[in-house]
Amino acid sequence: MSWMESLIDFVRKYKLLVALLVLGPPLIYLAVYFFAPFIITILYSFGFIGRRGVITWELTIKYYQQALRWVYLKVFYNSVILAAITTVGSILMAYPVAYFIAVKAPKKWKNLLVVSVMVPYWVDFLLRTYALMNIFTMMKMMFTYEAVVIGMIYDYLPFMVLPLYANLEKLDKSLLEASYTLGASPFKTFLKVTLPLSKPGIASGTILVFVPAIGEFVVPSMLGGVSVTTIGTLTWDLFLKFHNWWRGAALSILYIAVVLITLIIYMRKVGELEI
Amino acid sequence: MSMSLRDKLMGLYSAFVYAFLYVPIIIVIIFSFNESRTLGQFTGFSLKWYQVLLGDKVVWVAFYNSLNVAVITTLVSLFLGTLAAYGMVRLDIGGKGAIDSLLYVPIIIPEIAEALSLLLFYKFSGYDLGWLTVLLGHIAFDISFVYVVVRARLAGFDRSLEEASLTLGANEVQTFLKITLPLSMPGIIAAALIAFTLSFDDFIKTAFTTGPGFQTLPLIIWSQSARGGVGPELNALTTVIMAISMTIAYIYAKLTMEKQ
Repeated sequence: MSWMESLIDFVRKYKLLVALLVLGPPLIYLAVYFFAPFIITILYSFGFIGRRGVITWELTIKYYQQALRWVYLKVFYNSVILAAITTVGSILMAYPVAYFIAVKAPKKWKNLLVVSVMVPYWVDFLLRTYALMNIFTMMKMMFTYEAVVIGMIYDYLPFMVLPLYANLEKLDKSLLEASYTLGASPFKTFLKVTLPLSKPGIASGTILVFVPAIGEFVVPSMLGGVSVTTIGTLTWDLFLKFHNWWRGAALSILYIAVVLITLIIYMRKVGELEI
Repeated sequence: MSMSLRDKLMGLYSAFVYAFLYVPIIIVIIFSFNESRTLGQFTGFSLKWYQVLLGDKVVWVAFYNSLNVAVITTLVSLFLGTLAAYGMVRLDIGGKGAIDSLLYVPIIIPEIAEALSLLLFYKFSGYDLGWLTVLLGHIAFDISFVYVVVRARLAGFDRSLEEASLTLGANEVQTFLKITLPLSMPGIIAAALIAFTLSFDDFIKTAFTTGPGFQTLPLIIWSQSARGGVGPELNALTTVIMAISMTIAYIYAKLTMEKQ
């Protein structure tokens, strides 16, 4: 066992080197294939990189000015509205369900009910949105705003149910009983006890739904066709149809800025994100 | 304890929401077995659309590509993500908070923003778009998910077991192999399942980073369903992909529920 002894010796002696050997590979991988691409995107957005990837040594804000033109701001506004409708719609659908699973459902059903929400959570939106196309085609609802809204809520619903359930599951039920005993009606108990205590769950769900919904591409594109334009469909068109990478990069950096600001506000106010 | 009317109503509402989640999926499955092409009319049970799929060479190639990317992505991201999780939970170093945030970023950044940045990066660095570029992007995304799942497991089990092992005379390597690794196995398996599904049915990142001649199953669904083209062949293909993704997601969900 001499090789093992020398290995252990090594582990004890060079702690920092071991840390480097363990954490190095994953961090280097992410640096190259996740963070470097974002730096490249920033460089494109300022025109520092030109056609065929040639470095121009120029810095210009003209692509940001283009991305902030009125037509694009309107698309941004529409995307935020659609994301807000999606968020409110999914809270309204998810809250009673999460509450039912966490507080009311018979114990033997609980796992099945949670698992049934987790399964669609992990299936890509493309497949689930395609599933809706059958129904909307039968109902002659394809390419309408309503179809897009229903599709958005359909796809994002599990992202709202799960954090709400995780939160309500931790709710101390004796608080509800205390409230009843002291004479509060169920409605008042909900307003004064349950709802305030579940705010972190609502906040987590809102982040998980609202932020990606602003940039959603699959749903508006498949169910809305050309009738609904969002930041997601615009980004797709700028990159894969018109090959206007510079403007697309500026637009994407603006979107990421909005995402990060939202997250920072959230972290300050609520604390950690539960996924 | 019997349920009150209000509870029953809430149960009914929940049943309606579950129906909302699953009816569209059931409809796809039903119409993939429909004999006729007409949507909305079930004229008889038939396997002919699956036979069409089986005879379609393009579908087979795409299936092979999806599987190939998903398997390699799973293995590589499992290795790198587990290393990160182990390092963050067990090593005694400074700056953990910052590293943890970095490892979380890929989960938080919207997929389309990540996908286009990869495309720009590949174009700038002179990569030829295709199998390799798709694979490298999938791995980058999956490392973070593996990290989160495995870390939760590593942080969750009783550390005194490892200390006991060391006190009883086992060295660090033996302790890692006999205690730490077996105890974190459920987390590693769960992470593998998640990494596989995320890669196998991924659409957006694949669409941005693929090149001519490299197609995966979701890309076929996308190109054929564009402009509202639903049909029984596509229903059959979607059923197959969903069956694979949902089975794996189900096993994952079962595994994670059991530990509670």
